[in-house]
Amino acid sequence: MRYLLRRLLWMGAALLGVSALIFILVRLLPGNIIDIIAGTEGQLSRSQRLEILHSFGLDRPWPVQYALWVWSMLHGNFGWSFRTSQPVAGLLVSRLPTTVELAALTVALVTLVGLPLGILASITRSARLKLAVQIVGLLGLSIPNFWIAIVLIIVASFAFHWLPALIFVPPWQDPWVNLQQMFLPILSLALGLAAVVVRMTRSSMLEVLGQEYVKVARAKGLGSRVVLLRHALRNALIPIVTVLGLQMGFLLGGVVITEQIFGLPGLGWTLLNGVYQRDYPVVQGAVMLFAITFVVTNLIVDLIYTTLDPRIRYE
Amino acid sequence: MSRVEAELQESPGRSFARVRARRSVGLGRLLQRSPVVIIGGTLIIVVVLLALGAQIIAPQSPVSQTAPPLLRPGHEHLAGTDELGRDEFSRLIYGARVSLYVGVLAVSIALALGATSGIIAGFYGGWVDNILMRTMDILFSLPAIVLAIAITSILKPSLTNAMIAIGIVYAPTFARIARGPTLAIVNLAYIEAARAVGIPNWKIMLRHVLPNVSAPLIVQTTVSLSTAILTEAALSFLGLGTQPPTASWGLMLSAARQYMLIDPWIAVLPGAAIALTVLGFNLLGDGLRDLLDPRIRTM
Repeated sequence: MRYLLRRLLWMGAALLGVSALIFILVRLLPGNIIDIIAGTEGQLSRSQRLEILHSFGLDRPWPVQYALWVWSMLHGNFGWSFRTSQPVAGLLVSRLPTTVELAALTVALVTLVGLPLGILASITRSARLKLAVQIVGLLGLSIPNFWIAIVLIIVASFAFHWLPALIFVPPWQDPWVNLQQMFLPILSLALGLAAVVVRMTRSSMLEVLGQEYVKVARAKGLGSRVVLLRHALRNALIPIVTVLGLQMGFLLGGVVITEQIFGLPGLGWTLLNGVYQRDYPVVQGAVMLFAITFVVTNLIVDLIYTTLDPRIRYE
Repeated sequence: MSRVEAELQESPGRSFARVRARRSVGLGRLLQRSPVVIIGGTLIIVVVLLALGAQIIAPQSPVSQTAPPLLRPGHEHLAGTDELGRDEFSRLIYGARVSLYVGVLAVSIALALGATSGIIAGFYGGWVDNILMRTMDILFSLPAIVLAIAITSILKPSLTNAMIAIGIVYAPTFARIARGPTLAIVNLAYIEAARAVGIPNWKIMLRHVLPNVSAPLIVQTTVSLSTAILTEAALSFLGLGTQPPTASWGLMLSAARQYMLIDPWIAVLPGAAIALTVLGFNLLGDGLRDLLDPRIRTM
């Protein structure tokens, strides 16, 4: 409990750090922020400029600007889009579910495919299989997921006349159509990660299977399935969860590109559109939300450890 | 046995020498046992040779628009032509140059920034350690690509800025890797001895600490080269890295997206080039980890 409290505090500090980083980065922008906002260069008189600066609060000292910005974010106010003048917070909140759905379903698919295959591969110790699994696992890390996405689209369109949908259907409107639209994006993200999980599962299972307690379990006459799943897998899961946790950054990054390719209006899509349109309040907000998502998933991964292995007690 | 003697017994300097002696005997056998290093090494040598000899090997200039666009692979154009009638095969070869260039420089930035802060943090400890490592933690609380996107979008998209962004993004990994072993050796007798003799701190760090933390750093460098190349490809794919008309694999993929259903080749080949190069570095890194750092076994 105290550990959780400390972690939450540290999370707050880290996010504050991220916000400071974003704040400084945006201030480093080349050119005048007014020109970016108004899309004009040299057409405004000096007094007009000062007026705009004042209306955005940009004429105050940096620390004051920063404090005000953080304060308003804490109140759920992420500023207003330069382009549409809509509140950024509302925009981001409406985009978050798509990204969460994409990431969660990918993790689910990766676990459902990667774990069983890895366990299956751990039954034999053959050196050839080891090499094959090692290379496949590294291939999973090496193939860019945007390329997998492109290849999947090519294959799907030639084989099944499938094309990325033009209009995104959220799951609460029509879950079946939504799942059809999400299938290829999820597959493109999951293939690489699944290969990594297969490899990690195999190596981690092999290590556990060599332990004394597995021998004991076998010796007392337990069925091989019980030994494999109850005794070995539970302990083998710890390094697997670690690797999955490390891959979360990879996954969240992949989400950005995948959403872009398949035209899914999620958080990554919003971030990129903000970047292309130089809509910095949107970029700031999206980056902040990515940081929050990332830090929270990392915390969840750490908490999963304690349930997997009661010996791990955080102090 | 006095304390100093006991520490000398276990000092990494000695064990390092021992490992080196053992390694020189068994290097050939280890290489034999680790086919991944050979496969990975071969892949990388091929890519490096292609990149270095691009002018000689490539049949055409990567930017000359002479042929009809979107030709299928054939005799004249081994990999066909792209949407502007440029020879795809030549562009693939020149693309190796951009990938390696960005990869190597970005990782150098990351290594320089990260390893320096990691060693300094571990060496001085206390508040220096706290400030440096907490800064690294902040960089760690963002997914790499998201941070790289944020940095390049603000610095204006270009090859150099992509390189800087990737360098910054991957620095924390090196810092963490360098700090651990530094902490472990900083109180050992030979560092103490060096201090007692009056060698300046920077020289101790360079001459006595760095060599002892280099093995994990070497492994991480190879692995990071693969992620750096992937990140460059991703940034260029999103239009935030290398700018046209330079031939970059990520950029070629992104341009091919519009034509992928008319001419799948130009969408498939650059991706395969990225995958093979990155795979090469990953295989090498994996094999090196087994060779240099036997404690961490991946399999």
